[in-house]
Amino acid sequence: MNADRFTILPGATEPIYRQIGSQLRRLIASGQLPPGEELPSVRDVAVQHAINPMTVSRAYCQLEGEGLLTRLRGKGMVVADGAHAVLSPEQRLARLQAQLADVARQARELNLPARLVLQRLKLLLEGPE
Amino acid sequence: MNAVLHAERSSDDPLRCEWLTKRYAGQTVLSNVFLEVTRGTVLGLIGRNGAGKTTLIRVLLGLEQPDEGRAFVFGEPSLGLTDAVKQRIGYVPQEPDAFAWMRIGDMLEFVGRQYPRWDSDFVELSLARWQIPTDRRLGRLSPGERQRVALIRALAVSPDLLVLDEPASALDPVARRDLLREIVARAAERGTTILFSTHIVSDLERVASRVVFLHDHRVVVDAALDDLAETHARLRVPAGSAALPASRIPGEVSRHHQLDGSITLVIARSRGEDWPEIVATPGTRLDALNLEDLFIEVAR
Repeated sequence: MNADRFTILPGATEPIYRQIGSQLRRLIASGQLPPGEELPSVRDVAVQHAINPMTVSRAYCQLEGEGLLTRLRGKGMVVADGAHAVLSPEQRLARLQAQLADVARQARELNLPARLVLQRLKLLLEGPE
Repeated sequence: MNAVLHAERSSDDPLRCEWLTKRYAGQTVLSNVFLEVTRGTVLGLIGRNGAGKTTLIRVLLGLEQPDEGRAFVFGEPSLGLTDAVKQRIGYVPQEPDAFAWMRIGDMLEFVGRQYPRWDSDFVELSLARWQIPTDRRLGRLSPGERQRVALIRALAVSPDLLVLDEPASALDPVARRDLLREIVARAAERGTTILFSTHIVSDLERVASRVVFLHDHRVVVDAALDDLAETHARLRVPAGSAALPASRIPGEVSRHHQLDGSITLVIARSRGEDWPEIVATPGTRLDALNLEDLFIEVAR
């Protein structure tokens, strides 16, 4: 995996270490990062995105604690063997529940019809990253 | 007295200060500042213009004498640093203006001879990368070029402590990102301790591990950046609510009365601690804050 695959948004209320953690969790859950896949080094991620190295290692350590990553001697972090149980679509959808609920709440506060919100979401899903 | 001497020697943190107070012509510019900066910290100092950032940096480094309190660099009193400690510091002032009459190449060679860990490979690479003509005199450079030369000079000493006062103020976005990457690489590879002041909040959010926020000449926030969303929040109390006492509540950082009679507060707690009881009062609302929100909410 390349360090530039992460998307870092400094202004977000979600701290950067959690942004990295949740992106990794999603990539692993969807099978896009298979077991044994090597993660970029802490230094590489930090320098690529100009973010603090301790922030990156905090994210890695957290996922190591969850059993999703393993530290391999001489190789750094890799996706753990047990992590490959690819989740069903429902299980993966469950991971978006909180964010979707948040979007729904804000859409109601803005008094936006569901149709418009869904249209925009569809565009975002199908458009380029 | 013995206890005091002992305390001085017990800590060789890159930076430390206590009770720092500084006044100019009767005006307080720093008030009772305490800081302890451990090795490897990338500390971002923010605050509005005139909040005291530059003064704090200068007093920490012993370039100015405080009216009260003391500062230490690697355990030595800042006002009497030995050459051994001075050689471990790289410092870029807000407006670098030393050696204006010298040519860039000559200045770097001259300065380099005074530092045992001078990294001439780094100097060469950086001069080329930033396209700086070495035969130009420093006094003839644009502010951006002068800042870059000062950065090269500060980084070339292979400092254990790097202090940058508004390093990005004259840099374009590309050069700024270059600098941030260099800061990050130094912290990752050598454990360099870095203190930088800025008012570009997104730069700070990226590279800093800790943020210190100076407002009205005192430290109002000192927090680990990763924990900021957990430890700081905005509380809105509706107009006419009896829940909010007129006096400060625990953890209160700031309080503003809105035009509609409601009140917004910034409140802080330690990691793992609960918010004060008032957040459970019906009608109040607790919102997460990013650093920019926090800055504006406290500083306005």
